[in-house]
Order: sequence, then C-alpha cells, then structure tokens
Amino acid sequence: MAEVSAPLEQFVIRPIIPIHIGTADLSFTNSALLMTLAVALTMLLLVGATRRGALVPTRLQSIAELSYEFVANMVRDNMGTEGIEFFPLVFAIFMFVLFGNFLGLIPYSFSFTGQIVVTFALAIFVFVLATAVGFIKHGFHFFSFFMPPGAPLFMAPVLIPIEIISYMSRPISLGIRLFANMMAGHTMMAVFAGFTLTLGFFGFFPILINVAMFGLEVIVCALQAYVFTILTCLYLRDGIHLH
Amino acid sequence: MSESGPPDPLRRLGEELDKARSRERKRLPRDVTSSGGAMGFGLRVGIELIAALIVGVGLGWLADRYLGIRPWGLIAGFFLGSAAGIMSAFRAVQGMGGSPPSDRER
Repeated sequence: MAEVSAPLEQFVIRPIIPIHIGTADLSFTNSALLMTLAVALTMLLLVGATRRGALVPTRLQSIAELSYEFVANMVRDNMGTEGIEFFPLVFAIFMFVLFGNFLGLIPYSFSFTGQIVVTFALAIFVFVLATAVGFIKHGFHFFSFFMPPGAPLFMAPVLIPIEIISYMSRPISLGIRLFANMMAGHTMMAVFAGFTLTLGFFGFFPILINVAMFGLEVIVCALQAYVFTILTCLYLRDGIHLH
Repeated sequence: MSESGPPDPLRRLGEELDKARSRERKRLPRDVTSSGGAMGFGLRVGIELIAALIVGVGLGWLADRYLGIRPWGLIAGFFLGSAAGIMSAFRAVQGMGGSPPSDRER
C-alpha cells in the first residue's frame, strides 16, 4: 500500500540554505522562506495596488483599501483616536498573520503560524510593548491596573496576585490560541488524508470530509488573524487607557 | 425640481459609498464573530483557563525553587492560577453577551 507520512511531519523545520555562525544555527529554513514570502506578498499587494491610486479602485486596489480600512476601524473602535499611532504596527501584525495563515493552506507549503515559537514571539512582543506603553504613559500609576476598581480594600492581598497572574497569562493565551488553531486544523487534515490512502476504495469518504474541513480552515485562518489583531488592540488599549 | 447643471457623478459616488459603508459597518462585526462557531469559542475559553493556570503554577514552582519554600509556593500558585483562570474565562464569556459595548472584552 501507499506510504502514509506522519500527520505531524508537515511541521518539521528544514534548512534550505544552511548558515552557521559560530555555534549559532542561522540557517534559512522553510519557515523563514514562508515568512519572507508573506512580507514580500504583503508589500507587493499594498504597493502594487495603490501605486496608481485610481479614484474608482480596481479589484486589487479594493483589497488593499478594504484591509486598510478594516484594521483602521478596528484600531479606532478599540483604542480611540490616541491608538491610531499604533496603526502601522497593528496593520503589520494583521497582514503578517493573515498571509502566514493563508500561505500555510497551499499544499506542500509550510504554516509558520503553526509554530509556537513564532506566535509566542509575536505575543510576547505585543505584551512587552503594551506594558511599556502603560509605564510610559502612566508611570507607577500603571500598578493601579492590578486593583479592580470598586473592590473592597481588604480583598487586595488576594485580588492583586490573581490580577497579576491573569495579566501575565495574556501573552500565553494569545500565542497558544493562534498556534493551537493552526496546528489542530492542519493535523486533522493530514490525518484524514492519511485515511484516504489506507482505506482504498472507501477513500472517497475522508476526501469529502477534507473538502469541508478545508472550507472551515479558510474561515479559521481569517478569523484567527482577526482575533489575534483585535486582542493586540485590546492589550494596547489597556496600556494606553488603563481599564 | 430645479436642475442646476448635470448631477455631479463624483458626489453621487461619494454618497453611494457612504451608504454602503454604513451598511457594511453594521453588518461586519456580527458576521465575523458568528462564523467562529461554538467550537472556536469553547477553545478560546479553555485556552484562557489553561494559560492562567500555567502562569500561576509556573510562578509558584519558581518561588519554591529560589525561595526554598517547597510545597507552599506550588500550592498557592495553583489556587491563585485557578482563580485567575476562572476570572479570565468569565470575562471572555461576559464578552459574548451580545451587546456591542461588552463585545470589547474579546
């Protein structure tokens, strides 16, 4: 029978151009290739589509303008007008995650948002930035964030550690959510594809499931990029406004 | 109706765009949230619960290790982490109430 590869094999990082400097392994991997591709495609889309800047936009220009307005509205609704200075960052994160998710759906490609290192690095970056913004804007008043308003004072010894733990769990839940969604979807599709090979004649049934699942994955890809971005907005808002 | 020159096509386009945009703004948020489905929401609450527990237990374990107060740091961390997890899960669920302002908690 046909050889069935392990469902998790698609997440293996393979060096394409090995680069070793000292003891550090800086090889250009398939993950790095897809990240470069995501950035390059985003640039190509945005620069290419808006270069002519027609008043009645072409389809491509519409895509660029719609994604811009989508994120701009999200930033304005969640962070207020002060938050618009973070728009470039939020937009970059949105496009990076969105393109990463969708590029990962192409057969034989690689989904870098299914690597916990990538999502966790993004999440930690957002978390550190939001905390830094909080300290810069509010100084030590930022610590009042950990005492819920209206709570009785004698509850403080219990509430403050809970709030601090809850605050510190943010980057973890932010990173794990994107990673888990992407990895779970890709693994499920690989498992059902494996069933197709082993079932022989009845292999058409897992294919039907996979077709449906692929549709679901397209939704999940867009949705998780949206969720990651809106949570980034909310965390930055907490840094700007406190509560 | 008095016609003062031909109708400005650009202004008409602008009005149509405004109309479409306000329609879009009303529709889009609900559309996006509802397509996530119950499974996505369940996963989200579950992750919220686990993440706080990981942080709580991790901090407790570190306190045990470096302050030498073994079992107590882990025990306290576990309970505080559970409390924080339930609190963040509760906040996440609160955001599903349906009213637009509470939608922010997502």
